Amino acid sequence: MEKGLLPEDRQAIEQPAISKEFVFTGDWASMVAARDGMMDFVREYCSSEQEEIDIFVALQEALANALLHGCRGDPSKKVYGWVQIDALAISITIRDPGPGFDPESLNGAAGGVNLSQHGRGICLMRSLMDNVSYRRGGSEVLLTKWRTVRR
Amino acid sequence: MSKRYFSGLNMLRVDVQSSPASAKLLCSGRIVLGVESETLRCIATARAEPCLILDLRHVDAIDGAGLGLLAELHCWAVQRNRLLTIADPSRPVRRLLALTNLLAALQISYSATADGGFEDDYAGDARQAMTA
Repeated sequence: MEKGLLPEDRQAIEQPAISKEFVFTGDWASMVAARDGMMDFVREYCSSEQEEIDIFVALQEALANALLHGCRGDPSKKVYGWVQIDALAISITIRDPGPGFDPESLNGAAGGVNLSQHGRGICLMRSLMDNVSYRRGGSEVLLTKWRTVRR
Repeated sequence: MSKRYFSGLNMLRVDVQSSPASAKLLCSGRIVLGVESETLRCIATARAEPCLILDLRHVDAIDGAGLGLLAELHCWAVQRNRLLTIADPSRPVRRLLALTNLLAALQISYSATADGGFEDDYAGDARQAMTA
């Protein structure tokens, strides 16, 4: 047995990962249903109300971007979502059918006061999650929240 | 059975208290992209009173679109020489207002019954957002 690990820590680490896939079309009703389905799946593994709200808001932003920019209002397009939960993290991947974007182009946008209606989504995701990374040319976002051990 | 931290309100509910001088919109639930944001925008911009108060003490969650709506309504009120006040924003709302630097830009008031902590609680969050 590894030194320094409490039995309950070891038990948590040895838990197998669980995951679930969600597919929905590019309309608001489907997006809301998928969001609520993902949150129902994730909720049980959140350690606090704060963590649940953080994930809810970050997921909402990722899905809104997928619909607005990836599907561009076309309900025939599909968005894919994967939720994976293991001992270390809650990970949510959202992939949209759009052309993507250059995430580097947004660096430096935060800091000032933005009184417009738009332009807060990525700042919120980065602030509320522990890691946000883009793949597939920006059309896929991976949101990660490290899990805290409950005692 | 899974835990449920949220109050379970998926939709936004808005109750209106009005007098000739002011209208208070008591919001509960979530202010997020879609029907919720549109509902609040329609109700707020339809009011004719010179002073508009958005009471957010019972708002569970707000997203970028909801924050954008608050900023939009602030500009809308300034352009019409009207007063818009965000009253007693809940902890989740205050946190995101701080993260997006809106805490200092909007007119916000706190009553003695607001849930604990004021904007100083979120100075660290605001600094984190600026470096995100």
